[in-house]
Amino acid sequence: MGTIVDLTNTSLIFWEIISFLILLLLLYKFVYPPIRDQIQRRQAEIEEAIDEAEKTRNEARELLEEYRRQMEEARHEARRILDESRKQGEAQRERIKNEARQEGDRIIRQAREEIGRERDMALREVRQEVADMVIQASQQVLGREIDRDEHERLIEAALDNLEAEVAGSAGRR
Amino acid sequence: MTGTLALMKLSHEQLREEILHIWNTSKHKWVIPIHIGPIDISISKIEWFLFIGVAITFLFLFIGSRLLKDRPGAYQVLVEETYGFGRNMLGGGGKGQIGEEGYRWFPYTLAIFVLLLVLNLMALIPNTYPVTTNLSFTGVLAILTFLITQYQGVKHHGLRGYLKDFAPPDLPAKAVLWPAMWFLRLIQEFTKPLTLAVRLYANIISGHLIIFVFLSFILYFGTFFAIVSVPAAVVFYAFEIFVAVIQAYIFAILTQVYIEIAIYGEG
Repeated sequence: MGTIVDLTNTSLIFWEIISFLILLLLLYKFVYPPIRDQIQRRQAEIEEAIDEAEKTRNEARELLEEYRRQMEEARHEARRILDESRKQGEAQRERIKNEARQEGDRIIRQAREEIGRERDMALREVRQEVADMVIQASQQVLGREIDRDEHERLIEAALDNLEAEVAGSAGRR
Repeated sequence: MTGTLALMKLSHEQLREEILHIWNTSKHKWVIPIHIGPIDISISKIEWFLFIGVAITFLFLFIGSRLLKDRPGAYQVLVEETYGFGRNMLGGGGKGQIGEEGYRWFPYTLAIFVLLLVLNLMALIPNTYPVTTNLSFTGVLAILTFLITQYQGVKHHGLRGYLKDFAPPDLPAKAVLWPAMWFLRLIQEFTKPLTLAVRLYANIISGHLIIFVFLSFILYFGTFFAIVSVPAAVVFYAFEIFVAVIQAYIFAILTQVYIEIAIYGEG
């Protein structure tokens, strides 16, 4: 039993105390501080990296939000511009149509006036011509000079009569 | 192997010698005789393996602490994890097992853990002396735990307060029970280190003895018995690796807990 239950081994007890104390001293002095520092430093670094990543993610999210907003705005703007131009086009067309109608009316009215004027002129000329021819013919038939004024009055009356007759027949029809 | 022919003739006494030869002979091997007065402090195979164990413990941690880089290799991770194990498992990750004051003691218990682990694992190498199977060795560590425990108790509560804390104040039938409880607690204070020492010693030496006993059957019954003995020895050897780790941890965590109980009380 003496060898297994070695309870009073003075040399082992002595050297164990010595070497264990030296071990503790060395560990406390040279080993634990650098490992502790290293672990703490790495921990700080990891925390920093996590914070950094968090910040970057937030920034990215904000950026995305910003882009989305801008995109939405651009879409709105495009729709607005489109609507406006459509409205403008509509208005322009309407205006051009109106103008064209007015222009057309104006031209027609002018043409009518022109035609009326031409007709009057032509009518006057024809009347003059007819009067002259009648006078000449009458002179030749009568062989003498007739009172031109008298004549003209007669013709005038005849023509008026004729015109009235024509207008009457036209009105009847 | 000299006794191949004489295998069957081994007496029980000789077999006993074979089984216990490591513990019988180590004290007289590789001896450097030193004496201080009547006290024998000679260095023998026992002390040599103690020194080797202490040296490996120190170098493992020391080299690891010198090679620290920001991008750790496998070895650095091992050392850092060892330290982290001490901090989280023994020191409770900064909070201690019971209270924060106990956290300050984890480097001490971590040193015990690594030293015991190294010695336990070294003891599995054939022909080494298993230092943790020596009651003097485990006893000294247990007595250190005892001294630290008592010192911390007195330091934090004062001698009177510490002794008064041995039994709870709100006991029924106080006049009888309180002294009885106090006395039990007093005994407990001494059985704690005793169980520490014996638990480690007995667990490790029993593993070694089982292996040696199985192998000695070969000497006693004959070579054919190796069919049974060797597989059994291998199984127990593997189990001993597990025991080596678990016993080192138990010794360290109990030391930690005992110290913290002394600081904070049982409550």
